[in-house]
Amino acid sequence: MRLPRFDYLEPENLKGALDLLSTHRDDAKILAGGTDLLVRMKKGLLKPKVLISLKALNELSYINEKNGYIKIGARTPIADIVASGLIKEEAHALFQACEKIGAVTIQHYRGTIGGNILQDNRCHHYNQSEFHRSGHQPCHKDGGKICYAREEADRCNSTCQSDGATALMALDAKITLSKINGERTVDLADFYTTDGIMPFAMESHELLKEIIIPVQIAESAYQRLAYRSAIDYPIVCAGVLLKRSDTQKNEIDDARIVVGAMGRSPLFLAQASFSLKGKKLNDTNAFKKAADASMDNASTFAVHNVGSTLEYRCAMVSQMVFQALKEAAQAAVAAKG
Amino acid sequence: MSDYTIIGKRMPRVDSRAKVMGKAKFTADLKLPGMLVGKIKRSPYAHARILNIDTSKAEALPGVKAVVTGKDTEGVKWGVFAYTRDQQFIQIEKVRYIGDEVAGVAAVDKETALKALDLIEVTYEELPAVFDPMEAMASETDLIHEDFPNNINIHVNIDTGNVDENFAKAHYIREDTYVAPEESYFQAEPYAVVARFDHEDCLEVWMPNGGPHMKSKPLSNAFKIPLHKVKVRKIAIGGAFGGRSEICPVDYICALLAKKTKRPVRIQFTREENTIGTRQGHAMITTHKTGVDKKGRVLARETTCYMDGGAYSSTGPIATSVPFLSMEQAYRMESVRYNGYRIYTNKPIRGMIRTHGRGFACGLDTQLDMIADHLGIDPVEMRLRNSRQPGEYTSTKSYVDSCAMDETIHKAVEKSGFKKKWGKLPPYHGIGIGTNSVQTGFPMGIRGGSQSFIKFNEDGEATVMSGVVDNGQGNDNMLIQIAAEELGLLPEDIHLVSADTETTSSDPGSYSQVSTFVGGHAVKIAAQNCREKLFKVASKVLKVEPDKLAAKNRLIFIKDDPEKSIPIRKVVRISLLNFNSVNAEGGYWPRVDMKREWVKNPYGQMCEAFSFGTTIVEVKVDPDTGQVKVLEATAAQDVGYALNPLVLEGQFEGSIAMGGQGGMLTEYHEWKDGRCINPTMLDYKLPLACDMPPKINNIIVESVDPKGPYGAKEAGMSIAMSAAQGYSAAVSNAIGVYMDSFPLTPDKILAAIKKKNHK
Repeated sequence: MRLPRFDYLEPENLKGALDLLSTHRDDAKILAGGTDLLVRMKKGLLKPKVLISLKALNELSYINEKNGYIKIGARTPIADIVASGLIKEEAHALFQACEKIGAVTIQHYRGTIGGNILQDNRCHHYNQSEFHRSGHQPCHKDGGKICYAREEADRCNSTCQSDGATALMALDAKITLSKINGERTVDLADFYTTDGIMPFAMESHELLKEIIIPVQIAESAYQRLAYRSAIDYPIVCAGVLLKRSDTQKNEIDDARIVVGAMGRSPLFLAQASFSLKGKKLNDTNAFKKAADASMDNASTFAVHNVGSTLEYRCAMVSQMVFQALKEAAQAAVAAKG
Repeated sequence: MSDYTIIGKRMPRVDSRAKVMGKAKFTADLKLPGMLVGKIKRSPYAHARILNIDTSKAEALPGVKAVVTGKDTEGVKWGVFAYTRDQQFIQIEKVRYIGDEVAGVAAVDKETALKALDLIEVTYEELPAVFDPMEAMASETDLIHEDFPNNINIHVNIDTGNVDENFAKAHYIREDTYVAPEESYFQAEPYAVVARFDHEDCLEVWMPNGGPHMKSKPLSNAFKIPLHKVKVRKIAIGGAFGGRSEICPVDYICALLAKKTKRPVRIQFTREENTIGTRQGHAMITTHKTGVDKKGRVLARETTCYMDGGAYSSTGPIATSVPFLSMEQAYRMESVRYNGYRIYTNKPIRGMIRTHGRGFACGLDTQLDMIADHLGIDPVEMRLRNSRQPGEYTSTKSYVDSCAMDETIHKAVEKSGFKKKWGKLPPYHGIGIGTNSVQTGFPMGIRGGSQSFIKFNEDGEATVMSGVVDNGQGNDNMLIQIAAEELGLLPEDIHLVSADTETTSSDPGSYSQVSTFVGGHAVKIAAQNCREKLFKVASKVLKVEPDKLAAKNRLIFIKDDPEKSIPIRKVVRISLLNFNSVNAEGGYWPRVDMKREWVKNPYGQMCEAFSFGTTIVEVKVDPDTGQVKVLEATAAQDVGYALNPLVLEGQFEGSIAMGGQGGMLTEYHEWKDGRCINPTMLDYKLPLACDMPPKINNIIVESVDPKGPYGAKEAGMSIAMSAAQGYSAAVSNAIGVYMDSFPLTPDKILAAIKKKNHK
């Protein structure tokens, strides 16, 4: 399959990129690795007039720690994150998530963390060739009024399968979006819309610049399920963060449970997370309950549109959350030592 | 057997380096002067009447050189057999699956060709479509093909007699039904064709194929030109697995566009087209009823199988038979009745596939394990009590000469530690065994034999001509090894001209595991004939009788006095100076029963030899997720004789990947109203290298077939087949539930575990 025609622009710095974005807006797409964008373009799912490549923007490729925050430039390659001792130590869930993205040979080398967060939502009725999509009505995401994944749905139910975003939301990350005359920082959890057509609450002239992870005395873990050990999107995934109490060392002060690949965005499950407050780090029963609550909450969002069966994926939410909690708790106990 | 110089040795394949370095040229790499880009307009409907096709806008588009529709085909229909000709190369009245060809376009570039496709206006009247074979049989209206009531395309009935009587005598009887959906090949190379008509109106064509001669004849029929005017050329091929054995409408469409434009045309499939527009494996619903005596020996079996054949018949009669044949070869049974039905549905066309009948075979083996369980026999003993023995006849009256089935079982059992592990493994840790057998060819009438020609060049090197095609399994290397061995040359001295219908004689093609047995055999005979001529000349120089001579390392020498020798190059020159040519021919025709026919007379000698294989697999199942981790796979096959153990091991491991790891754990298609949901490599879960078992034990068993070349039979197919059975048996053993729906994806495994625990 061939790419549709487009103009290729390669700004030299962030300012240049923002200038171009503000000029071209909806006509432009950002190329930051291309492992998601180019595949969609080849399928004819989008035909941007302009591609603005971040190739020259080395200023957006960094990982550092300052004043209690880890900052990652949006154009940092996945491979750099996997190789970073800082990330492995302080944001373990992100390290685990990045390890599982695509394959070492392509996506780790080409793909970027910004691109991973902003990878478009997927649906096995939508991510198809033009031929496949012809001969029946277009779906919501394809410009029509039908959802093939959920009957009579009034909106798009495409699924966010980003490993990185799920882990980052568990880590309570924020992201900074830049535009020509300013920037804003938002909680990743607040970055999503409720519509699969455009899942991200950002404007067309905004650029994802930086990811900010607070360094906490906490342990995180990420678990995902797929049919293959590489080049496969997760059909369910979970990222968790367990923060120990300052006074009671074997007690959980705060927890974050995030489930991915089950809805239009990673799902921060507040109720299930809150249920762990004050629980002991070895209270597997509490973990099991939180995992089951996660399953109940997440299941309402999921549709059958990313492979396997819906029943199986729902059942596996509980497993992924439970395993991630167990892993994080073990790490917390070990760290205490 | 060890006195061969080149045969039986671990020799890297002659084609490997070019392929690994990216230097090999495949059809899509071909660039001919003035070549146009061809594209196919396909039906977006599963079942619809074509009311009108308007190509005027497409034809008016600048850069479009030709548009062809069904009107240009003169109604030519294709089918492997005279009684299965049900597919027009371009549809004119109705379309029968999403992907059916309705028009072809040739243009100066891809963009223009694709634009032209959009400009072709086809008016359809949608018809009710049916996607399930059982529903298709029940539906009384809107037949997919009007001449086939109940949408039954093929019915194969085999009955040895005494079935009911033997069931009456049986000590224990079981009846179980097994299902498996369709699967795809995912050859590394998507299908592509290049065609041109030359100045003498000869059609020259390149494409990945399972036999060039199987492509040239239908093309000659379709274009009504003599066979010698169709020149199918040799080109590197990236896999076939049974899916490229017959002609494909795109071969014809590409040639038709070339004819109309008088320019070369190339059509290159997308990955999606390769999945939906070529062939797939059949989905099957199989019911086995088996009656055994007290010792577990099968007295009677009745099998009924419904196969989802898709929109056209393809290799229908063969496909409807082979799953049964593999099992009747692998296992003895006193009596059997088989009814195989191939049903038309509005889905892509199903043909032959390397792992054809995974659900059929896994079902039969699962049932044997259940019976063994009931009788208190272990699975190994159960197989040994029913396994095929040499010197027997199969149920359909094929004589089985060489057979080391039991040896493959014993060796695999020993290597895998089966006896120590069976029944003693911890929960969710299991081991299982599967056995299978495949043919080396079918009765193919006048195309059943292969001929080879060999000529010596004056520098002492030889050119070998053979119709055998290499589509990835190493046939080129096999031919070169045989020729070098027989001629006393080194492999690099052999120049192979093969798979070209202009320069090579007819050959059955590289499927049904026939290439070594028939094509390799022909080269061996040709080389022996050629060597005889050399020996005659050399005997005069060395002053001994020709039968006292041998050839090795480019020398002809006296067997009992190897110091006395003469270079082959010198013998060639002496011969030429004495007015004698140094060339020879040789042919091999397997002695099969030509009266055997798939539907009308499914009895008689099928082929001359059968291979037998056993796969034992050890797995761990995660009871919380249903995911399977394969710890070890042990593959043992009776190959007859190993011509090149290195190639064989590669075939065994590929067989584990395709038949077991992919075929039994992850690979299946998903559909929505006849639309294939997972036509690409991302969504269809082919295993990757990192998914493979950490340990694969390859065991080569040699029964040395009396008719095979050097005793060789075939390389790896019995593993591809038995791997599925080994995988399914291991998973069933691990979870303590006999599974009846394949492949064994985690959702099914988890559901089975839950159901069992709730009992």
